[in-house]
Amino acid sequence: MDMLFLAEVALAGLGAGALYALTGVAFVLIYKATRVVNLAIGEILMLGGYAFLGFAAGLGLSPWIALPLAIAAGGVFGWVVERSLIRPMLGENPISVFMVTIGLGSILAGAVQLAWGADPLRLPEFLPGTPIFIGDAYLAPKVAFGFAAAAVVIGLFLALFRFSRGGVALKATAADQGAAYSVGIDVPRVFSIAWILACATAAGAGVLVGAIGGISPTMGVFGLSVLVVVIIGGLDSLAGALVGGLLIGLVEALAGTFLGGEFKLVVTFALLLVLLMVRPYGLFGTHEIERL
Amino acid sequence: MRIGTLKTSYGADEALFDSSVQRGLLVLLALGAVAFPFVASPYWLFLACLCAINVASATGLNLLTGYTGLVSLGQAAFMSVGAYAVAVLEIRLGTPFLLNLLIGAALAAVIGILVGIPSLRVKGLYLAIATIAASVILHFLFSHWSLTGEARGLSMPPASLFGYVIDQPFTLYWLIMPVTCLMVLGAANLLRTRIGRAFIAIRDRDISAEVLGIPLLRYKLTSFAISSFYAGLAGGLWAYFFRVVTPESFPLVNSIFYLAAIIVGGMGTILGGILGAVFMTLVPELLKFAANWLTPIYPDALAALAPVRTIVFGGLIVGFLIFEPRGLAEIWRRVRRFFHLWPFRT
Amino acid sequence: MTDTQLNRRQVLAGTAALAGMAFGVSPLAAQETGEIVLGGSIPLTGVFAFAGIGIHAGIQDYLKILNDGGGIKGRKIKYVAEDTAYKVDASVAAFNKITSQEKVSLYYGDSTGFSKTINPELDRRGSMIMAGASFATELNDPKKFPLQFMAGPDYTEMFGILLRYIAKEKPGARVAFVYSDTEFGRDPIVPGEAVAKELKLNIVEKIVTPPGSVDVSTEVLKLRRANPDFTIFHGYVLAPIPEFVAQAKQMGMKSQFMGTFWTMDNSTVQRMDAAADGFMGVMPYRYYYDKDGSVPMLEKIRQMRPEYQSTGYMQGFVTAMLMAEAVKRTLDAGKELTGANLKAGLNSIKDFDTGGLFGVPISIPGNSVPVGRIYRFDAKAKQMLPASDWIKL
Repeated sequence: MDMLFLAEVALAGLGAGALYALTGVAFVLIYKATRVVNLAIGEILMLGGYAFLGFAAGLGLSPWIALPLAIAAGGVFGWVVERSLIRPMLGENPISVFMVTIGLGSILAGAVQLAWGADPLRLPEFLPGTPIFIGDAYLAPKVAFGFAAAAVVIGLFLALFRFSRGGVALKATAADQGAAYSVGIDVPRVFSIAWILACATAAGAGVLVGAIGGISPTMGVFGLSVLVVVIIGGLDSLAGALVGGLLIGLVEALAGTFLGGEFKLVVTFALLLVLLMVRPYGLFGTHEIERL
Repeated sequence: MRIGTLKTSYGADEALFDSSVQRGLLVLLALGAVAFPFVASPYWLFLACLCAINVASATGLNLLTGYTGLVSLGQAAFMSVGAYAVAVLEIRLGTPFLLNLLIGAALAAVIGILVGIPSLRVKGLYLAIATIAASVILHFLFSHWSLTGEARGLSMPPASLFGYVIDQPFTLYWLIMPVTCLMVLGAANLLRTRIGRAFIAIRDRDISAEVLGIPLLRYKLTSFAISSFYAGLAGGLWAYFFRVVTPESFPLVNSIFYLAAIIVGGMGTILGGILGAVFMTLVPELLKFAANWLTPIYPDALAALAPVRTIVFGGLIVGFLIFEPRGLAEIWRRVRRFFHLWPFRT
Repeated sequence: MTDTQLNRRQVLAGTAALAGMAFGVSPLAAQETGEIVLGGSIPLTGVFAFAGIGIHAGIQDYLKILNDGGGIKGRKIKYVAEDTAYKVDASVAAFNKITSQEKVSLYYGDSTGFSKTINPELDRRGSMIMAGASFATELNDPKKFPLQFMAGPDYTEMFGILLRYIAKEKPGARVAFVYSDTEFGRDPIVPGEAVAKELKLNIVEKIVTPPGSVDVSTEVLKLRRANPDFTIFHGYVLAPIPEFVAQAKQMGMKSQFMGTFWTMDNSTVQRMDAAADGFMGVMPYRYYYDKDGSVPMLEKIRQMRPEYQSTGYMQGFVTAMLMAEAVKRTLDAGKELTGANLKAGLNSIKDFDTGGLFGVPISIPGNSVPVGRIYRFDAKAKQMLPASDWIKL
């Protein structure tokens, strides 16, 4: 086996994995704070890509202005969704809530198609195009950039939760909503903030994913891989999303190279099934103990 | 008008159809179903068959999700097992179609049990994802196995009975509709038995159910088996209906469709599964009519149809969950209740 | 870019109309005598929507030209289409619906799967001929598919044209195939290899990508290791070709990239940006903007549609034209419009001038029209320009 080739494949896999991790973090954030499983995360990611396209190509803004605008648009969208769709479902059966997010995903996919058409589009080039070599191993520049951006954002999140007041409030809410309420934490506000942050992150990830592979109304299937990531990592663990993301990226890359492209998805899902049997709550997830 | 019902025996209380009005309506409905093929155009027959297949599958999912509380996003995959089994049997062996249907359904049930095994350890979303994983693996298997025709799928000869070929909507109707009716009746009856009551107890709180002496593993797997049996049978009917089975015939979005159907119809009621499946099958057709009708005024209507359909699909799920969580069955119940006391109280 | 954009008012109007439709739906339209019906399962949405929208417009435009000119012997052709989202079952449903409402003589199908599935039904009905978006090798067999045809070369013939060109440019060249894991993608791979062997070309790598995948970094690495002189993409419309080519070029690969019909649209290639320059492929029709030679039909199209029209549009247009020609020949011969007669009419087409849309006069002895030309993208002109003569197999 050619070690250089292996290294290149592994690097490409980790690069893709970083984007999984980033989106996974967005997913975990919402789950941790609100116990809502957001299956529309892939479509929100897609929305970010299209928002960027709208700002950059539609309004002719510079990509570096369009990027924060797209992220902000994602945040606003998160806020609207939380207030209009998720809050009315508070206290409902979790199945109902996750079906609401599936419905939301479907609405988004349709709306995007109505507005921008069904065919895949390319985002304006804004990432550096000079190839990067680590040693002799080639790394696609966009993938490297995506990796760096994801690493920075995830690092920021980790710091935020550890040191900021809001982060602590979020952790408290995640641990016990009732108790958090009684010590004066504004739980509904925490819910809103979690959705805003998560959707903004997903939108940002969408711009990165779109810059690498183009955008299309079917881009939401990216969410399927993210689902695998968070289940493997554990639904309520940020570290789990990080490790799971990199792991899945790597596994997909290796499977694609040595088994063939058609094996990518099936290998990750098979891995998922095995893991569910061995560790039903993911690598780092909390095992909840049920009492009567 | 009906003021109340008096029941003098447990048997009467447990009966599926508890009043003479209901029985009368049912007879009318049955007569309508028999008369329908003689008056409807092939297109409407086509839709009726499609509705019936979806009702069968949705009813199966309703047993699993609505009555046992186990969420599955694998219903379409279980259907594909039935469909492929039927296609392979029909092409390779040419066995009688009823036998094929039963074998397909039984195979789907076995796969269902396998997929259901994690249900003992994981619940809720984790389980839903496990069923997605099973769908992905089955899809991969079907699209790369030479027996199932790989990516191009299988086209199969029509079903035949004593040399009589069943390949038109009119004849297919007489195959599909009775099978579906039997399946729905079977489901309704199942829920009156010990098994059905165990399902409901598990849905309401599985740990309590276990404490009460209901073996969780056995009943959860039973629920999976029955639900996938229904899916497999529906898939087999589907195969005879379209006479082509491809890996893309049963995508994940179809599983979501069935889940949406029971939500819109009303989870945990037999009527809900029926109403939801029929409603969700007909809505896209109505949209199609609208688009065709709009085309002269607005030429791009047809192109806008698909996104609108996706939006309406999502909108129905969200709308029903927020505004009418108990679905169409609840609306129907309200309408009925209104007429019970009408015109004395409105 | 596309014509599917809607504003809110239109959407609202549509919703209101829907409410109206819930009442009083009459599915069976009255049949006007004399009208000939062209039915269509058209992929206006889904992965093939880009092509489908073009096809839809192309068929409509040709029929408009035809009907405005008085139709065929005074009989007009009516176009009835349904969206299929490029799914076989939806296509079958559309077929059933349209054929139960109209007396269909011509049909446009959207995929290889559909063409194969519906074939027994076509034979059973015997009342129509069908063509479609599929150029699948298997369909090019008049014995097994007696009532079907395709308005161009089949995929293996496309590969043949490409490989013949390669063999002439660089004998013994290293060639790689990159294709999607779909029936469309897999179709010409095995026969294509056989053709390559005949031409003494060296197939160094075959890379299959999952449908809908966007991140191709690992596949590109694999391609680089194989280091081919020519890389042929098949089974895609756009994604992931641009990223594939861009990354390969960044790595310093010198391979020549090529595509088959459905990836060859000018706007598609343009969207590859920097990667587009030099992209080549096979195309049986002229492009919208082609100026060489006398092309009266293109002039008409350019008058009707001042903006660029895709190759999918041309495909729909030409398909409708050939169908109409088959109808005309059948009626001229005084025969009834049955599938067999229509097909015989179609097969009698010899050295037929399509108004210049095919660069050379064509004949349809069987199910396909094995003609094509290699085009190459010129970044300065932002256009696909001819790189070879018309090649007839």
